[in-house]
Amino acid sequence: MAADVRAIIAALGGVDNVIEIEPCITRLRTEVYDASKVDQGALRAAGVHGVMLAGNVVQVVVGPDADTIASDIEEIMG
Amino acid sequence: MTTVLAPVAGTAIGLAAVPDPVFSQAMVGPGSAIDPQREPGQAVAPISGTIVKLRAHAYIVMGDDGRGVLVHLGIDTVQLKGEGFRPLAAEGDRVDAGQPVLFWNPAAVEAGGRSPICPVVALDAAAGAVNGEVRGGVGAGDELFQWS
Repeated sequence: MAADVRAIIAALGGVDNVIEIEPCITRLRTEVYDASKVDQGALRAAGVHGVMLAGNVVQVVVGPDADTIASDIEEIMG
Repeated sequence: MTTVLAPVAGTAIGLAAVPDPVFSQAMVGPGSAIDPQREPGQAVAPISGTIVKLRAHAYIVMGDDGRGVLVHLGIDTVQLKGEGFRPLAAEGDRVDAGQPVLFWNPAAVEAGGRSPICPVVALDAAAGAVNGEVRGGVGAGDELFQWS
């Protein structure tokens, strides 16, 4: 399963919208500033298994590569 | 065909009963779940293979055929940051099915306000690939389901 890291960031509302990303085995727990900027359809199109939105926390289910994807995202975010 | 063992003793309740949609909706794969006995104990490897991921509260064992089985000890237990969990093996270790991987205390997890239910997931398996699912009382190392 190869999720598109750049597409995930864009679907989360871009680098400036992301406060924190924490990987947990199969998912990314992402805290965002503005949840209305999160595009769930675009996340699914980026190859993720599922998305759950609660308040300003977005859980992006990516499968067992969560650690790698999170560090790739952190690298891009600088 | 892979025989997947129960990682902990308790009651096999099925994946749909897990209070977390990532697991209950099988977003990462089909499988089962165990409502564990509320006493400190060992969680064991569900299959033989290599521990490709080992976190304080969860692990993935990958068989030589590339099939990975995820064991998650309790729900939202990432928030405990390892408190009450102790590794009995290391990431990268080869393990036999039934070999201890983590020590934990389901009663303490529950006392902290979290569900101690343990999903056991056939990662990225097709929906119909899990069968022969056991329900009811199981011991750690007992057969839980078949991955065809």
